[in-house]
Amino acid sequence: MADVLGSFEQAVLLAIVRLDDGAYGRAILNEVAARLERDVAAGAVQATLERLERKSLVRSTLGSGTPIRDGRARRFYTVSAEGLRQLNEARKTHETIWRGLRRPLKSRA
Amino acid sequence: MWNPPALAQELLSVLLPADARETVCGDVLEEYRESRVPALGERRADVWYWRQVVGIWLRTYWGFVVPVILLLVVGDIFNTFRAPSGASYLDRLPMLAHLPLSPFVAVGFFVMAGAYGSWRTREFAGGLVAALGTFVVMWLFMVIWGTVTFYPFAHVQQSNPYWIQAWQWSTHRAHPPSTFGFNPDTPDEGFLNWIFWDNIGALLFGGVAMLIASSICGGLGSALGLIAARQRPATPHNA
Repeated sequence: MADVLGSFEQAVLLAIVRLDDGAYGRAILNEVAARLERDVAAGAVQATLERLERKSLVRSTLGSGTPIRDGRARRFYTVSAEGLRQLNEARKTHETIWRGLRRPLKSRA
Repeated sequence: MWNPPALAQELLSVLLPADARETVCGDVLEEYRESRVPALGERRADVWYWRQVVGIWLRTYWGFVVPVILLLVVGDIFNTFRAPSGASYLDRLPMLAHLPLSPFVAVGFFVMAGAYGSWRTREFAGGLVAALGTFVVMWLFMVIWGTVTFYPFAHVQQSNPYWIQAWQWSTHRAHPPSTFGFNPDTPDEGFLNWIFWDNIGALLFGGVAMLIASSICGGLGSALGLIAARQRPATPHNA
């Protein structure tokens, strides 16, 4: 059975999809934080990107630096075909398990 | 242009693998300058930067810290809670069962943290930061653990012959002139007061001993990790 994507992994992958050509570390960090509506640690995003790259779900290329970064390079990410397939799979699973239930759920008590 | 604390920048750089160093340091610096300082002010932005550094350390090396902390807790519990005779419950177990609680195991974790740190970062300093960081987290945990458990543990200890004997030995015997420049002969000192200062002393002396052990063993581990890292093929990022 293929690995199931965790919710944070999905958030990072979807941030890369949304950011398109502008998907580098800091932009992904801010996009994930905005979507999850909480502060996110740079280390958490970095570790997730490393893991996703090891699993071949994302690919990366080095871009140029800017003065605000003291000239340090940016690493830009794109979601691979396998990454997109797993995202679609995760969404399908999510929709399947919620089908037939009215959201939000209410307590009977 | 604003700059984060120099030590935090240096630590962040040393903590990261070679292929992620430049890009991640750049990302955090860009976020600090463009978003955090304007929104929070320089001081709170510095705190944010430090939190990123500590977060990356914990995320990377928690696997070395958790077992050592568990060993400390188990060792302390067995040392405090003893049979009514005062003997340690560990004495009834086979010799092999004592081994995990040996100080050599904790020292071994410093070596492993150092080796993993330098292997991962391909830097000697990366291993040293891993080992010293393990010491810092362990020592902070010991301070918190000692504070939280002081009264409940002392309550048990004051009715156990092993601890009563230790208290009487420490406070009632005729002490020779101390090499530390004071004579700790205090015959009127109560049990709780004695064990409080005994714990403080253990934390301070234990801290110094662990600092020395983590520096030496972390250095040794870092050297070994660096040798192993040189045999490792370059990753696609830094190829």
